Amino acid sequence: MSSGQANAVRATAAPETAEPMVDVRKVRKVYRRDAEELTVLDGIDLQVPAGEFVALMGPSGSGKTTLLNLIAGIDRPTSGQVIVAGTDVARLSESELAKWRSRSVGFIFQFYNLIPVLRAVENVELPLLLTNLSKRERRERALTALKVVGLADRSGHYPRQLSGGQEQRVAIARAIVGDPSVLVADEPTGDLDAKSAEDILALMETLNREFHKTIVMVTHDPRAASRAHVQHHLEKGVLKAD
Amino acid sequence: MKFLPFVLKHLRRNWVRTLSTVAAMAICIFLFCTLQTVLVSINDLLASTSANRLISRNAVSLVFNLPLSYGARIAAIPGVKRVATTAWFGGSLPAKKEGKADAGSETTTDWSQFFPNMAVEAEPYFQMYPEFVIPPDQYRAFNEDLKGAVIGRKLATKYGWKVGDHFFLESFIPPYRKKDGPFEFQVDAIFDTDPVKHPNTDTNLMLFHYKYLYEATGRRIAAGTYAIEINDASQAGALSKAIDAQFENSDAQTHTETEQAFTASFIAMAGNLAFLLNSIGLAVSFTILLVTANTMSMAVRERRTEIAVLKTLGFSSLQVMGLIVAEAIALGAFGGALGLGGSQGLMWFLLHTPGIKDMLAGIGLSELHLKPVIAAAGFAVALGLGFAAGFVPAMNAYRSRITDMLRTV
Repeated sequence: MSSGQANAVRATAAPETAEPMVDVRKVRKVYRRDAEELTVLDGIDLQVPAGEFVALMGPSGSGKTTLLNLIAGIDRPTSGQVIVAGTDVARLSESELAKWRSRSVGFIFQFYNLIPVLRAVENVELPLLLTNLSKRERRERALTALKVVGLADRSGHYPRQLSGGQEQRVAIARAIVGDPSVLVADEPTGDLDAKSAEDILALMETLNREFHKTIVMVTHDPRAASRAHVQHHLEKGVLKAD
Repeated sequence: MKFLPFVLKHLRRNWVRTLSTVAAMAICIFLFCTLQTVLVSINDLLASTSANRLISRNAVSLVFNLPLSYGARIAAIPGVKRVATTAWFGGSLPAKKEGKADAGSETTTDWSQFFPNMAVEAEPYFQMYPEFVIPPDQYRAFNEDLKGAVIGRKLATKYGWKVGDHFFLESFIPPYRKKDGPFEFQVDAIFDTDPVKHPNTDTNLMLFHYKYLYEATGRRIAAGTYAIEINDASQAGALSKAIDAQFENSDAQTHTETEQAFTASFIAMAGNLAFLLNSIGLAVSFTILLVTANTMSMAVRERRTEIAVLKTLGFSSLQVMGLIVAEAIALGAFGGALGLGGSQGLMWFLLHTPGIKDMLAGIGLSELHLKPVIAAAGFAVALGLGFAAGFVPAMNAYRSRITDMLRTV
C-alpha cells in the first residue's frame, strides 16, 4: 500500500487512553408484537478498544445483528447505553444520528447493497454527497478508496459487471471513504466463495492493521472469526465469556 | 444540485416504466394545454362581443332565414337602437382566381382558402361595431361601391391585398351562388382594431354589402340574421323576449340572444363546453396521477433496501424523501415538457394546414396559439402531479425504519 493511499484514507491511531471506541453498557433490546415481548438482547456489556478487530459470533437469532445495528446507530436500545467514539448514540435525534453515522460509522453488508444504477466510483462517492467537498474532491477520494481495495481499474464498472468479491470490495471502499472511526460488518463473507472471502478478510485485516480502523464483525464462519483479535459469543441475547 | 445526477440515474433503472410514465404524463399535459388553449380562444372570441348587441335568428335553425320585413318591426320595438340585416356568406376563393384551374374552365372553389365573410347592411352595422376602425375616405368609397369589400388587416396581410385589388368568392350555401360564376369584390377599405380597447377582435374577416348579395341572387334571399343594438345592456333579456314575442305566431319565429350566446352557439359550442373540457382534463389528470403514483410506489418498493442503505450511509429521512419526490417531479418535468411540445406542435400543425386553418379561421379561432400562461400552468400541473404521485411513497420511505427495510427482500 502506497503512502499516498495511506494518507488519503487517514490512519486513525489507537489512542493510548483507556476510553474504548465502542462501549455498550447494560443494553437491553426488546421487540414488541401486540402483547408479546421478545427480548433479543438482555443486559449486554461490551467494550471494544480503539483499533481492535472484534468478531461477534453466535447462532441465528442470538441477537448479534441487533447488537451490530445498535453499535452502527441504525437501531436504538430499549434500555442501556451505546457509546461509540465518545457519543451516546441513543441520546441523538434521528437527524443527529444520521449525521453521526455519516461521520463515524462505515457499514459493510452481507449482500454488498450497492446501488445498481451507479458505477463503482459513484457508489463509493455516495456518502461524500453529504459533505461539503467539491465534485472533484469527492471523485478523487472515491478513486483513492477504490485503490485501497484494489479496484481502481474497475471504477467505471456497474455492480452487475463485477463479481461478488469485487462488489464487496466496492462496498468496503464505500464504507471507508468517509474515514469513519468504526467499521461494522454484518457477515461480510457470508455471500462469497472461499477465495473471495479470504481476500475480503485480508483486506479487513489490512484496514485494521495499517489504518487502525476499529472493526466489529458479525460472522457465522469460525475461519472468518479467527482473523479477529477478539471473539465474542452471543447466545439468546446474552454475551458469553470466552 | 449535486443530488440531481443521482436522481436522474434512478430514472434510467427501468426504461420501459420510465418512458411509459413520461408518455402518460405527456398525454395528460398535451390534453390539458390543448383543451385550455381552445377554451381560452373561445373565451377570447366571446369576450370580443358586446353586451349591447343582440342577434336574432330563425328559431328553428341558423340554416333558415328570416323575412326582410322583420328588420323594421324589430327596430320599432322600444329600447332597440338600430338593426342591421346580415347574412353569413360562407365564401371561399375560387381556384380560377388563384390560377389553379385551366383557363376557360368552370371555376372550382378552393375550399382550403376559406375565411369568415359576411354580407351586412353597412350603415347600421358599422355604427354598432365601433371596434372596426376604418379610414373615413375608404369607408365613403365602400359605401358608394356595390361590389366593395371591407377586409380586416390580418386578411389583407394574409393575401397581400390592398385597396383597389379585386378578388372572387364563391359561397358553399346554394341560395348564395350565382349562375354566372363567383361574386367579384373590390377591396375598398381595410379595417384595424384598437388592440388596447378591443384586444380580442379578430381582423381575419371580410364584410360586404348585403344589397350586393340580394341583387346578385335575384332578390330571392331573406335575412340570415339581424344584428340589433340596444340602448341598455341590462335590458338584453327583456328585449330578447319582446322581439321573439313579436314573431311568436308567425311562420318564421325568431330566437334572439346576446351576441355572446349567439357566438357560442354559432361555433357549435354548448354553454357547458368549459365544463366538458375541464372535466375531460380533470379525469385525465387524475388517471395520470394514479398511474404515476403507482409507478413511484413500485419504484420505491423495489428500492427499500437501497433506501435503507442510503439512511445507513447517513442520508437523513428528509433527504431520502426529497430524493424520491425529486425523482417523481423529474418524471413530471419530462412529461410536461413533452406534452407542451406536443401541444405546441399540434397548434402549429392546425394553423399551417390548408383547410384546417381556414376552417378554424372561419369560426373565429385563427388565434389558436399556446399562450405562455397556459404553458406555464400545464408545466405546473405536470410538476404538481409528479409531486403528488411521489409524496406518499416518499412519506413511507421517510417513516420506514432502516432495520425493517433491510429485512425486506
